[in-house]
Amino acid sequence: MDRAVSLQSPPTVSTCTGVPNGKLGMWLFLASEVMFFTGLMGAYVVLRMSHPAWPGSDGHLNVWIGTCNTLVLICSSTTIVLALAASERQNLPAVRTWLLLTATLGSVFLVVKGFEYAAKFSHHIVPSTNVFWSCYFALTAFHALHVLGGIVFNLVVLAYTGRPAWWASRSRRLELAGLYWHFVDIVWIFLFPMLYLF
Amino acid sequence: MGEPSHISARLSLIVWAWLAGLMLLGVILSELSILPLPHRGVIAIVAGLSTVKALLVARYYMHLKGDQRLLAFVALGPFLLIALALSVIFSSTLIRL
Repeated sequence: MDRAVSLQSPPTVSTCTGVPNGKLGMWLFLASEVMFFTGLMGAYVVLRMSHPAWPGSDGHLNVWIGTCNTLVLICSSTTIVLALAASERQNLPAVRTWLLLTATLGSVFLVVKGFEYAAKFSHHIVPSTNVFWSCYFALTAFHALHVLGGIVFNLVVLAYTGRPAWWASRSRRLELAGLYWHFVDIVWIFLFPMLYLF
Repeated sequence: MGEPSHISARLSLIVWAWLAGLMLLGVILSELSILPLPHRGVIAIVAGLSTVKALLVARYYMHLKGDQRLLAFVALGPFLLIALALSVIFSSTLIRL
């Protein structure tokens, strides 16, 4: 019995589209997610443009905390790219390190968001306070749920690195996790200025 | 065909620097009001910066630069629908004005 397992990526399965099925499926899923978030953001823009006196955050959102959190998410996008680069070099320890760092940075983003929510609640600011806070909580909560989903996806891929046999057959899922994580980053790239800066 | 064209670690760090720099530029322009522009002008510039950042992520980190055109069409499909929806929304808004 040959127990030696190659760390190399599984061979590409030929498909009629020329794109691996998993990757095409992820892109189609992301396309539907783009429309989901555009619906939410579009509602925010229409409400804001049609509101005679837009309430805004009234100084209750700290731009610099939001800036640091945005930087955290941008850094996490880079670390998952570095995980993919390490995977191509067959460097499994480096893949683990970069994936763990990505999940950690995502968790930092959520913890900071949690502190922001707690600060709002302590000031009796809730979704029903006014139209701005309704939009703020809806947009950021849905985004945070997606970040949480991305962290879970990254941790599942991290678990695959535990056994070379698992990794040999599932390493391509790292690319799918990366695509999803970058999408989450892009959504925040638009949400941050909409809610914190404008 | 079918193999992803992943970027090098060096290029990924260059893209990271651009993303961080553009994000900080947007914050500075918005918060410090250093441009002699009305608020709407600043909003347009910051929104443009966000679009550039999103394109950088999609092109380099999501590999749209080197992947098959099919994926680019899949990625761009929703934006055509969004453009259609926005044109309906804004045209109805303008008619009411």
